[in-house]
Amino acid sequence: MTEPGGRERPLIVALVGNPNTGKSTLFTALAGIPTRIGNYPGVTVEEKVGRFSHHGRDVDLVDLPGTYSLRAQSPDEQVAVDVLCGRMRGVPKPDCAIVVVDASNLARNLFLTSQVLDLGLPTVVALTLGDLAAERGITVDADSLARRLGCPVIPVVVPQGVGVSTLRDSVVGAAAALPPPPPALAAHLADADAERPPAARDAIARYAWIDGIAADVIRRSDRTGRSRSEAIDAILTHRVWGTLVFAMVMLALFTSIFRLASPAMDLISAGMDGVAAQVEASLPEGPLRSLLVDGVLAGVGGVVVFVPQIALLFLFIAILEGCGYLSRAAFLMDRLLVGAGLSGKSFIPLLSSFACAIPGIMAARTIENRRDRLLTILVAPLMSCSARLPVYLLLCGAFVPDAAVVFPWLRLPAVVLVAMYALGVIVAAAVAFGLSRTVFRGPPQPFVMELPGWRWPQAAVVLERVREAAWSFLKNAGTLILAMSIVLWALGTYPRPVLPAGGEFTEAEARGEALRQSFLGRAGRAIEPLVKPLGWDWRLGCAALASFPAREVVLGTLGVIYNLGDVDPGDEEGGTMLVRRLKAATWDGTERKVFSLPVALSIMVFFALCAQCASTLAVIGRETGSWVWPVVTFAYMTSLAWLGAFAIYQLGTALGW
Amino acid sequence: MQSLEEIGVGQTASIADVPGADAVSLRLLEMGLTPGVRVAVVGRAPLGDPVELEVRGYRLSIRRREAALVTVTT
Ligand SMILES: Nc1nc2c(ncn2[C@@H]2O[C@H](COP(=O)(O)OP(=O)(O)O)[C@@H](O)[C@H]2O)c(=O)[nH]1
Repeated sequence: MTEPGGRERPLIVALVGNPNTGKSTLFTALAGIPTRIGNYPGVTVEEKVGRFSHHGRDVDLVDLPGTYSLRAQSPDEQVAVDVLCGRMRGVPKPDCAIVVVDASNLARNLFLTSQVLDLGLPTVVALTLGDLAAERGITVDADSLARRLGCPVIPVVVPQGVGVSTLRDSVVGAAAALPPPPPALAAHLADADAERPPAARDAIARYAWIDGIAADVIRRSDRTGRSRSEAIDAILTHRVWGTLVFAMVMLALFTSIFRLASPAMDLISAGMDGVAAQVEASLPEGPLRSLLVDGVLAGVGGVVVFVPQIALLFLFIAILEGCGYLSRAAFLMDRLLVGAGLSGKSFIPLLSSFACAIPGIMAARTIENRRDRLLTILVAPLMSCSARLPVYLLLCGAFVPDAAVVFPWLRLPAVVLVAMYALGVIVAAAVAFGLSRTVFRGPPQPFVMELPGWRWPQAAVVLERVREAAWSFLKNAGTLILAMSIVLWALGTYPRPVLPAGGEFTEAEARGEALRQSFLGRAGRAIEPLVKPLGWDWRLGCAALASFPAREVVLGTLGVIYNLGDVDPGDEEGGTMLVRRLKAATWDGTERKVFSLPVALSIMVFFALCAQCASTLAVIGRETGSWVWPVVTFAYMTSLAWLGAFAIYQLGTALGW
Repeated sequence: MQSLEEIGVGQTASIADVPGADAVSLRLLEMGLTPGVRVAVVGRAPLGDPVELEVRGYRLSIRRREAALVTVTT
């Protein structure tokens, strides 16, 4: 096992196990921060490799996706099998496998173990969660288990620092030893009923073999009453209390990404503004300065600003996942989402998307089922995110009459605002339903999900999840978003405007002229026939185009295009100025006002449904590992947005609103 | 023969078979719902579906449609 250089090559050790067995905790304890994170070629299954050194021997630890079986029915299982058999491109055949086995749930965990033993690799069993098992009155005799399996069994309780170095010894030793004999399944297989499909026969035979072992190695002490985990579970899945706790947890999750993240986001914006001011002060006016300030710095700011939300959401998710609540949340919400062709696991990603689709789409990583995950990602951008709120607020405040609806206290602008949120949800449900019955039609997706015992999360694992989510966003999506904002900056800046000679221009008018004459502005004019049926003039079309980098810029763009210069529509003064200007806007060369209630509604509906957010599309591309899905998302959402805006404008005009 | 779907919350039953050859049935077998095993219906989600089971000492959530694939004896 020496490389040409004389130095021993690292041992390759694969880490396999069922979900929720403490596999990530063990990975972190053995190898610390991963040295390589990526995707396996051709599939969106995460590849995670870490390195540690033990008695002078380097070991590369390859973390495999958590699976219940090696039957290779899902991409996760296929990856696990391919890596273990040395068939995965870029991963040498492992010298040894560590199977993580949950001591409190031995029988089901031995199922996967028996399949790994069949592969004939040197194998070490890491017996985790022994403390939880003891709490439930279960002890597993590691020595007799080792004898029955024919491979070393090392009890490991990472939170108590037990067993990690013994496990390292054992792994380095086992890699040099003979593989264990495969489990003696033949006798059980012969017993099984020949009428069944082979996979069913195999499963029944394995459990028969497991039952024989479990009877020998598990000792149960008599315990009275329910364990702590069961007591907590009884509350958390209770009709009333469970729902109440769930509502509170989700409220906390949502408000924290919606509100708690904003001070950090403000800080980032202020920091970027500071840097921009520095650059502006030290560079002469010109294309370079414009590129740096409006292209690069604005782009970097636009990327970094998402990090607080992503970090907070993943902090929540990692904690909920660590204590076992994530699957309970899915359990509680499943029924609600199943009707739309989704599953309970889509709930948190979709809820988060009300704050911002980007962390929401990333949160869809927690959905193991590929079809459900993709569907969730595709409809997540339909949830009205916080970037749409200012658009709704401004237009509702300015153009929706403050009339009472049914009750004197129920005002029309508020109703319209709520209707915009509802519109996104309803359309998302319809799209998910439609797709799940057409493009994604297939056999029913199993929702067979373990509800793990209640436990305390590990700080190291939680922090690693947060770090990993933020880092992968910055590295993958971030660079793409930055590149896109530079391109869009160029489209909005070039060609340089030709100002009519002799005229006196204020700076605001010059900026407006520059945008109108840029490629983006010209494109806006060119698409006027397309947006006219929505009741929009070309300026509105242009603003909608220019808001492609991020929806929230649309108000700012409207300010520029209506010669207001850089107003901040968010503050009182800027908002009123913009509203006054919009109310005064007329169609080119006529006295006819552009804005009316139907036009305002048509803009709102368009923004509720459109995919005018380059960052979201970039993240969809990265998370699905394919360019097809962002294109599909953009196409279907833009079509729906156009149709919706068209319908509401025509309806409103016909009814004389 | 009853199906697991018909077992009420708080009751236990013994698995007779998971006769199907579809992916869901195979997954249920792999999760340890093999003939002869005791299973308890521990709870049901507030909206009526899915159900929470205790089987082989752990908790498992499956939809009613999936529970209907399992035959049991009480
Ligand atoms: N009590 C206890 N908790 C553990 C042990 N190992 C892991 N955990 C906890 O179990 C939860 C799930 O662990 P994780 O490593 O994420 O599991 P994975 O899904 O298999 O990767 C986390 O909250 C861990 O803190 C252990 O040996 N004892």
